[in-house]
Order: sequence, then structure tokens, then C-alpha cells
Amino acid sequence: MKKLFVGLLVLTLILAMGAASAQDVVVAEPGQEVNMILLPKFLGIAVFDEANQGAQEAHAELENPGTLEFLGPTAENSVAGQIEIVTTAASRDDIDAIMISNNAGDQLVPAVEAASEAGQAVVTWDSPIPSGAGEALFIAQVDFDETGRVMAEMARSILGEDGGSFAILSASPDAANQNAWIAALLEVLEEPEYENLVLLDTVYGNDQTEESYNQALALVDQYPEMELIMAPTSVGITAAAKAMQDEGLCDTVKVSGLGLPSEMIEFTLNGCAPEFALWSFVDLGYVTYYATYLLATGAMEAEEGVTFEAGRMGEYTIEADPTREEGLRIVMGPFSVYNIDNIEEAVGGAMEEMEATATPGS
Amino acid sequence: MPNFLKRWESLLLIILVVVVVFNITQSPVFLRTENLINLFSLHIEKIIVALVMTLIIINGEIDLSVASVMGLAACLMATLYEQGTPMELAILVALGAGVLCGIFNGFWIAYIGLPSLAVTLAGLIGYRGIASMLVEDRSVTGFPEWFNALGQDALVGPLPLAMIVFFFLAVAVFIALHYSGYGRYIYFIGNNLEAARYSGVRVKRIKLSLFVVSSTIAAVAGILFAARLGAVRSSTAEGFELDIITMVLLGGVSIFGGKGTLGGVILSILIVLCLRNGMNLLSITGNTQSTVIGVLLILSVLIPNLTQVLQELSRRRQYVLQKE
Repeated sequence: MKKLFVGLLVLTLILAMGAASAQDVVVAEPGQEVNMILLPKFLGIAVFDEANQGAQEAHAELENPGTLEFLGPTAENSVAGQIEIVTTAASRDDIDAIMISNNAGDQLVPAVEAASEAGQAVVTWDSPIPSGAGEALFIAQVDFDETGRVMAEMARSILGEDGGSFAILSASPDAANQNAWIAALLEVLEEPEYENLVLLDTVYGNDQTEESYNQALALVDQYPEMELIMAPTSVGITAAAKAMQDEGLCDTVKVSGLGLPSEMIEFTLNGCAPEFALWSFVDLGYVTYYATYLLATGAMEAEEGVTFEAGRMGEYTIEADPTREEGLRIVMGPFSVYNIDNIEEAVGGAMEEMEATATPGS
Repeated sequence: MPNFLKRWESLLLIILVVVVVFNITQSPVFLRTENLINLFSLHIEKIIVALVMTLIIINGEIDLSVASVMGLAACLMATLYEQGTPMELAILVALGAGVLCGIFNGFWIAYIGLPSLAVTLAGLIGYRGIASMLVEDRSVTGFPEWFNALGQDALVGPLPLAMIVFFFLAVAVFIALHYSGYGRYIYFIGNNLEAARYSGVRVKRIKLSLFVVSSTIAAVAGILFAARLGAVRSSTAEGFELDIITMVLLGGVSIFGGKGTLGGVILSILIVLCLRNGMNLLSITGNTQSTVIGVLLILSVLIPNLTQVLQELSRRRQYVLQKE
């Protein structure tokens, strides 16, 4: 009898715990109709197409009968175009949620506030609203401070123990993500172990291949002592690596930063860009979709401490964003650092993964 | 020619009606006040400048520097404010810079006789250069609340300040162009510069005044743009000159001067804005949108020229027939 009682007690406890944890973690209920827009900084960039692929995967998985539209401005019209698309979307009844990789800085605030006031779920991914205004949640690809540390470590591993001089080739001056990473990198450089890394200059190629290419060459002309170009953008890093390769400078000036393995493989194998890092944009689009779906269906509120499940990516907890004064975020992570030892495997693996997800998704 | 102009505007009116009817049937949102305000607000600075550009092109000139003047005014205002100048004063200085740009452009064109294409192209590069020196690669924000509210909030009824500026300016330009001696001189000079000169028209003074008005209004538009976005960077308004000239040419204003009406330009502005808004409501963005606008412009330049060529051909044939 006593045994039975203890057994029942244990069983009750287990059930109670199960119920409690089920309550704590918000899980998406598939099949609800949510019309969504995925807005990249602009169209025609591989990483954003990958994010769209991840979002489409989640869209199919959650059996959302609504639409998921991948809309974006052209590259030369990015800022005005993003403002126009968000402002127009805010006035549409048929749109329930919008997911933005912000390229317009705080210039987008009036537009996202209009969307929020219209009852749409506004989630940023890849690049947030700097002031956090009008945005429910930011899906950070990685911890922004970690990005600074990873870049500092790559710089040290390429330049060696003696250190050296390097320059940063960034995207646009309004890109909140790049600016935050650069700020984090500068902070890490303050530490004594990195004191022999000297930052010469920060220039902007606006995520345009030709502009970035020319900026990289201009850096070489301006700073003969420069040994490394650090580009925290997938467009900038390939343009810089191509420029160094074309000019035969790869022995003296190396390139590093954040890049896509499939675009960087030739430069890593030929030594122009011996090491770079990135996270998966497919996963970023996937997690962003899950979070947005939960917010738009009312299953979840964007509040500190709320934990939700994002399908195959597991659980995430919403926290205050330490890189901004206001705003909530989740951090997806992790970083992958690519070099000659693992890049071929990464590119091969990514290809297989793309083929695997492309078939059922489409 | 007036007959043809009439026909061009009727064509524009038909296109506009088609676009509007299409938008209404495709999207329930289109006719809502909020959307109609958005439709204007998203491009209000460009269409303000387009009104004065109409006068310049009818006069037989062009002003390519307008977007750079917009950027320069916004950057100058932002830099001064950042350095502690009161916002009101910073705005006045920025407007003053606009006037100076206009005097500079107008002096070379009207008094030295250089082609406006070259002078204002230099302005396009030079004024943008100064703007970039002022703000560099930064983004300046944190303007006073009242300033951002002027750009973003409704001032009278549902209308924001920029739209009120547009309507008043449109009326002023309309009267000046179609109901004043000044307007008749603008057409006269655009049609035949030499004849105007020998008839005692003060060509230099009129040309100078047009470029000063153009740059000053561009500076106003640049400041309104800064207020609407609440932020300024050196590339503010970059490339706008092409959109502005597109709208004026589509309105039936001849790039060679002397021909065109403000009514035509207003119709073309409405067409471009409704078209863009409709495409956005239907989720057509990016390159598709640019292509549609581009095709429209090619047609607007092609159709009047084709008509002209055809008319010329038929006249020659009649002449040959008469001789025989």
C-alpha cells in the first residue's frame, strides 16, 4: 500500500512537471492562416535567398494556408524601397506579419510603428531597428559581441603573434548589424592580448560588388602597410578577396570576415581568404518564421523570459537585447569558422542539405 | 501643336483612369484615406521638385543638381544641429545654401552661357561631394520632436506639411506658368531663345530666377525629406533627379523646351504614384517595378517624337505632290 502511494506520488509529480514545462514552452499549432512578408535588405543576394528558403521550409512545416511573400527593393533603392514596402504593407488588411532585415536604420521607424499599430507582427532578423521602436522582437543570428571576438581571433590567427595592421570593409553606414559587430570588434581590440592589431580605417562598399571591390583596392593604395581586410559582409568579403586575387596581392594582403562558404571556397583554397566565419541563413529564416508565426497567431507575447520551440532548431528564450538600449531579442547561433580544413565539407554538406530541403518544400 | 498637346494629356488621363480602376478592383485598400496619403507621402519630396523642374525644362534647360541640393541642404542642417545650432537657425542656413546653389548654377548658365546640362551635372557631383564631406559615412538622427512631427504627422486634417506645400506650390506654378507674363516668357525663351533675346525679353534674369527657385525648392524638399525619415545621411535623396525628370517628361513636356503644361505633369505624377502604389499593394516590387516605370518613360519619349516624325513625313509628301 505504501509502495503504491509512493508510486502514485512520483507519477503525479512527473505529470505535474511535464504539464508545467509544456506550459512554459510555447509550441506552434500548425494550420493557422497567417499572411507574411519576408523583407530582405534588397533582392539578389545569396544569403537572403537562403533565409527565404528557411522561411519557406517552416511555412510548409506549419501548414500555414496563408501566403509567405519574399519582397524586396532593388539594391540602389534599398532605403527608400524598404520604407515604401513597409509603409504600404502596414495599410494592407491582408498582411498579418512582416519580417525585416533592416537596411534603413532608424529611418524605418515611422513605417514599422504604423505596421505595429495596424496590428501586424513586426519581427526583425539579421539587422534590427537600432532604437528598437516599432519592433516586437529581433532574431539575432549570433551574439553580436561574439561576432567581434570571432573577428578579432581570426585577425590574430591570420596576422600571427606579432600582429599587424588591418582595415574594415563594411556594408552600408546604416546597417545596424554591421555597425554593432564593428563596435564589438573595437571593444575586443582594447584588450591587452590584441593590442598589436592596429585598425587603420573603416570604409563602406554598400553591399555592392563593384563598389566594395573598388574600396578594397583603394585601401591597398592608401595603406601600404595593411596586411588584412576584414569584411563583416558576404558581399564585401568576396569582392575584397576577388580584388586581391586579381591584383596578385594575396601574399601580402589577406581577406577575412563573414562570408558564405559556397562563395568563398575558391579564395580559401587559393589562400586569399584563409579563414572566415558565418552562421546558417537558412536556419535564420526558419527560426524567424517560427517566432513570427507564434506572435502573429497570438500564441506568444514578445516578453522577456518567454520560451518557445522553433521546430527542428529547438527552444529559444526571449531576452533583453544587451547590444541596444531598448528591444528584445533571441540569439540563434552558433558561429562556424571556415578554413582550408573544413570548407570543402561545408560546401558539399550545404549542397546536399539544399537539395534535401528543396524537394519537399517546393 | 496645341491640338497634339491636348491629345497627349487625354492619353495621360486615359492611362490614369485605367491605372486607378485597376488598383480599385485589385485592392480594397487603395481608396482608403490612409493609403492615399501614403501614396503621396512616399514620394512627396520628388513631386514638389518636379513642379519647378517643369518650368526649367519648358524654358529649354535642365537641372540635374536638384537631388544633390536636397542632400546638401539636409546634411548641412543635420551637421549644424549636431554641433549645437538651434534647429530653426540650421533650417534657415540650409535654405540659404539652396539659394546660393541656385545663384551659382544660374550665373554660369544665364550670364556666361554655359549649357545647363554641364553646369548642373557639375552641381550634381559637387554638391553631393560637399554633403559627403559634412556627414561622411554616418547617419545623423535625434532631431527635435517637433521637427520629426512636421515630416511624419498630419498637420491639417489628414494632410502632412509636405502635402500642403505641394498643393500651394502647384497652384503658384500653375498661375505663374499659364496666367502670367513670366510664364509666357518661359515658353517664348524655350521655343526660340534668339527671338526672345531680340524682342527685349530679359532672358538672363528669367533663367537665373528659375535656377534659384529650383535649388531653393529642392532645399525645402531636402529638409522635408529629413523630417519624414527622421534621419540624414550623405546619400539622402541620391538618384532622385532621374525620377523627377521622368515624371516631367512623361507629362508631355518636351526635353527641347517650349512645350508642355503643368496639367500634363500633374497627370503624369498621379500615374507614376498610383502605378507604384498599386504594384506595392499587389506585392510587385524590386526590378519588375523599375522596369514598368522605365517602359512608360520610353513610350512617353517615343510617342510624341514618332507623331512628330510622321507629321513631318506627311508634310513633305504633300509638298512633293504639290510640286508635281
